Amino acid sequence: MRVDRIRLLIQFLSFILMIYGGIVLINLGRGLPALTCVYSKYSAGLCFLYPLQRFAGLPFFLLLGGYGILLLKYMGMFILWVIVLNTAWCGWVCPIGFLQDLLSKLRAYMNVDLSRFSWLTRDRYKSVKYILLVLLILLPIGIGNSFFGLPKLTDDLAVPFCQICPAKPLLPMFDGNFSHIFIDFSSGTKIVLSTLSMIILALFFTASFLKRRFFCSYCPMSALLSLFKKTSLLSLKKDGRKCTQCGNCSRVCPMEIREIADERERTDIVTQDCMLCMRCIEVCPEDNALRATFAGMTIFPSTAKGFLKRQGAFEKV
Amino acid sequence: MSEKQNKLNRVQKRIKRHLSMSVREILDKMDEDRTRPKNMAYFDRLFNAFIEDSKRIVKKENGQKVVGTYCILVPEELIYAAGAVPVRLCAGSYDTVENGEDYLPDISCPMVKSAIGFSAMPVIPLYQSCDLVVIPATCNWKVKMGEILKKFVPVLMLDLPRIKESENSRKFWLNEVNKFKQELQKLTGLKINRSRLRKAIKTIQKAQIEVRRFEKVRMSQLPVIQGQDALAVMNTYFYDHVESWTEAVKGLNDELEERLCSGKTVCSSSAPRILLTGSPIIFPNWKMPVLIEESGGILVADEFCTSNRYLHDMVALDELSMSDMIHAIADRYLLPCTCPIFSDTLDRRNRISQMSDDYQVEGVIYHILKGCHPYDAEMKTIEEMLKDKGIPQLKIETDFSPEDVEQIRTRIEAFIETIKGRRR
Repeated sequence: MRVDRIRLLIQFLSFILMIYGGIVLINLGRGLPALTCVYSKYSAGLCFLYPLQRFAGLPFFLLLGGYGILLLKYMGMFILWVIVLNTAWCGWVCPIGFLQDLLSKLRAYMNVDLSRFSWLTRDRYKSVKYILLVLLILLPIGIGNSFFGLPKLTDDLAVPFCQICPAKPLLPMFDGNFSHIFIDFSSGTKIVLSTLSMIILALFFTASFLKRRFFCSYCPMSALLSLFKKTSLLSLKKDGRKCTQCGNCSRVCPMEIREIADERERTDIVTQDCMLCMRCIEVCPEDNALRATFAGMTIFPSTAKGFLKRQGAFEKV
Repeated sequence: MSEKQNKLNRVQKRIKRHLSMSVREILDKMDEDRTRPKNMAYFDRLFNAFIEDSKRIVKKENGQKVVGTYCILVPEELIYAAGAVPVRLCAGSYDTVENGEDYLPDISCPMVKSAIGFSAMPVIPLYQSCDLVVIPATCNWKVKMGEILKKFVPVLMLDLPRIKESENSRKFWLNEVNKFKQELQKLTGLKINRSRLRKAIKTIQKAQIEVRRFEKVRMSQLPVIQGQDALAVMNTYFYDHVESWTEAVKGLNDELEERLCSGKTVCSSSAPRILLTGSPIIFPNWKMPVLIEESGGILVADEFCTSNRYLHDMVALDELSMSDMIHAIADRYLLPCTCPIFSDTLDRRNRISQMSDDYQVEGVIYHILKGCHPYDAEMKTIEEMLKDKGIPQLKIETDFSPEDVEQIRTRIEAFIETIKGRRR
């Protein structure tokens, strides 16, 4: 079983669903843990970050009523989705993740060497996604409410993350809508945010081409998901005793997670960047050293035989 | 002919005769065993050829270059991809040790002395006919060995980081592997391209399919092959071309798996199951495995760089770009290596612990060659780990000489009796 191929197929299907699902009236609600953009016309569901920022922007007293219940409803749906699939949303569903994987495939096809972050760089920027997450909640709160008599923030800062998220200009393109690619000169804030958005878009194409899943290292959705990952049914387990530290797993990991190879004590190995693509299990040559579990049951273990099969060692040279 | 030359010739002939005799003795003893798998004959022939006709081993068809290697840290995939043939030169012959003592102090390890002895005097042509000899800078003796061997053969040293956990050392080693690739291309004049490298990786993976099968057979409760034969299988990989070796092991595996079904064992299945680890056992230094199995134990597992560890870890192809394949090869040779020259002993502890579970080991014999300090230094931590698991360990410090055989026999017999006693 080549999981990487199955994953690509599922990613493709969910991409179609998330971009065009609305045409056939599919609606998965407004609490999806994936960057399915509100600006794309026919999307089958909505990225949870959008309602989160919208509701955070409401004055406090409004949240005590019906709006609060609505927010709780979306949040409940979000948590339910995460409990079922954990961070597999990033690896298997997210359309932005899929586009990055396609860029990587293109790079590999063009025989361009992949780039990796140095360990120091990776560790240094680990906190960026959490900072973004905090900002995307705090800034809207400042719009809806006034603190210590200070003036409220400008309305132009509404849904701040969406304004710089690469999904906003990118995904509507698949509906034929290119209108989000521009710099908005209507106000100072807008100029800054839309310029930032364009820079991030350019960076998205160049950096994700050279480095696998470049954007995911900074995605606040991944930060939000990682808060709930302990509660999830789907998980990745490691048996440190069976591991020979050969490093195959961390080398092929699209997120360049070192812990997957270096960790020897902890059994639950879903780290903050992990997207459960299961590539590590595929390249692990030790029986049961790594395995994916669902509700405690092993659904995909690493095996020496499976490793050799996927490597094509049984085929004729 | 001068007096000196004459003397040298006599010494050379004597060593050759002795070597032949000691190899014959081992092979004859193996032959007596009626329960031996039939497919072992292929490996016996290879051992025989090693002494009698090592020209055949290094037959240079279409001008193929021969690359001699020391240690398991030399990436063989690259050698095959460059169109050359690797031959591992780590030596285990007592007869050439004396020769090597002219170059290194007495306390240095017998393996290095033996290898230098072979290189300094043309006892068997294998050691002189290499076009390049690659030595990773592992232990101190090997580091100094390069300089000595330079007098006799072209030598390439591979620098090796000692702390494999750090990012710097991994990058450093990656550079060394790239350097090795360049040197090989210079040697053979053949460019290592992606398709050749991929083919070489797959060829070795094919051998590893059989190695894993072989491991599975040995893990079973029924002893269907003797430990010395298993060591022989892995040891002959030194001199054989990987493809013909793979075919032979495949045949052996088929026979052994059939034996598992029919229940034909080489000894009583209640014989104490022993794991042998420590300094490498290299043919014809067959002292330890023979003694263990003559004393009533069965050598079910070994943790040596010359056998179990040699082909266990595998290169994982991911992206098929040159840089990614080289990265995969570099990682496979450095990261899982449990050689005690690395600072961290946890990998080796884990490995032995896991192996003693997998092979249902009842006792561990820790073999230390006199002068092999890294293995000696690691012994205590391994002993403590085994103590926690309730597995007894016996430390045997020896060299290649046959003098202490009977003393060791007594100790091993006592050890095996204790294991039997513990069962009751």
